[in-house]
Amino acid sequence: MRPYISKPAGLAPVDIGTGYHRADLVFDGVDHSAGSFALRVFFNNPDATDKTEVTGENGYAGAVYVFGHGGCFGDEGHCDPPVGRRAFDHRPPHQLIPAKMWIEVTDAIRELAQRQEQLVITVVPVVPGEVTQDSPVPFQKVSLVTYA
Amino acid sequence: MRLEVEGPAGKSAVAALSLATVRGREAGLANHQMDTAQSAVVPGVRLRKSVATLTGADLAGLRAALVAMQGISDDRGYQHYAGIHGLPLPGYCVHHDAAGILGNLPAGPLFLPWHRAYLYFFELALQDAGQDATVALPWWDWTTDPAQPSEILAAYAMETASGQPNPLYQGPIVAIPDSQWEGERRTLTDDTGIDPGPLPAVTFRQPGALPAAPPGLPTPPEVKKALSSPSFVDFSQRIERIHDAVHVWVGGTMSEIPVAAYDPLFYAHHTMIDRLWWLWQLQHPGAGPPARYLNVPLPPFPSLTVGGTLDINGLGYEYALAEVPFVPAAQG
Repeated sequence: MRPYISKPAGLAPVDIGTGYHRADLVFDGVDHSAGSFALRVFFNNPDATDKTEVTGENGYAGAVYVFGHGGCFGDEGHCDPPVGRRAFDHRPPHQLIPAKMWIEVTDAIRELAQRQEQLVITVVPVVPGEVTQDSPVPFQKVSLVTYA
Repeated sequence: MRLEVEGPAGKSAVAALSLATVRGREAGLANHQMDTAQSAVVPGVRLRKSVATLTGADLAGLRAALVAMQGISDDRGYQHYAGIHGLPLPGYCVHHDAAGILGNLPAGPLFLPWHRAYLYFFELALQDAGQDATVALPWWDWTTDPAQPSEILAAYAMETASGQPNPLYQGPIVAIPDSQWEGERRTLTDDTGIDPGPLPAVTFRQPGALPAAPPGLPTPPEVKKALSSPSFVDFSQRIERIHDAVHVWVGGTMSEIPVAAYDPLFYAHHTMIDRLWWLWQLQHPGAGPPARYLNVPLPPFPSLTVGGTLDINGLGYEYALAEVPFVPAAQG
């Protein structure tokens, strides 16, 4: 797993709307097939690492704790979630379908938005051993979603 | 808090201080006081109490039932029920908000109902094994003030109890095929730094020690915020995130879905989660999983659907903070 650093995103009202009462950072496609890990989120701190102290001064915004499935224990193909789903297929879902997770960041976003700052999100995976740069980010997409 | 209870027909009574009732009063839930207070004294309804308030007799009964259940090797035993959650395959537990059920409905709303069904069947098997219908799963209130150290309660952290190995301290892992165990063993070794060895093995914990562990157990404000969620889906997602963090904080086998349920602490943790769902239900009458989920079955428990899990009194249990037994007044 490697860290994720976003491009700057605008936080002006035109970007995120007005009158929202809640703002979530939503992770789509989180891979929970391996061991448990954490995703620590920092705002406007692209240099954050798994050694960075989790304080407001460092832009720490929260963490997602991923309760992992610990790897694959079946034969080849057993742990590959099916692509698509046939009609009339009422079987339970494959357990390793990537998940959607979120953390609520309302107060932090409000503060940044008031200053009309841009936001860079750094997502630091915390895993056993070293975080490596040549492995994939453990999610497919991260978005800021506001709700009225 | 003063509690006055009138026994049936002037006979002795057992007064149950229902946590739901107490919390309900705090939250202004007058409409539910009578329901929960009455259900707490209905014969046959078992009281799930806080681990912190279990009496010596409660703990002795729980431990005896657990030892008896661990001694059964067939589908009434501990290995069978622990294995339903993860290994051996197939694992049935529902975690994480992944799409894919019934035409791509998210599976997330099944997290709470599936685990309620799981605890229900486990608890009945525990009673059967212990031949004690009063045994009930206790809940571990892990909420901790950040200023205090996070820790596992002594009842589950002591290696021995009354001179015997404490069955709440660790659980056996026996009935997993070698081909599956070797993969899990490698993962556990890589992720925790501890090799549990070949089977038979035992569970282990590393409270707060994993690199990915949260800085402490969930705080009361975090739980309060989850309980204030107006919709079931939102509450379910919030409480599952809190649940995940506790698993990772405990570490060891509890931090891996395939073997988490072999640790006896798993059941105290999930009973707490189930209790919070019940408290949320009391605060949000009429709210629940979206209607399209209600008839969804919860394998491998064919007799329960999502809708069948919504009323815990219908499942024969109630949550209590403590139980205060009264004795009859002397007859004049």
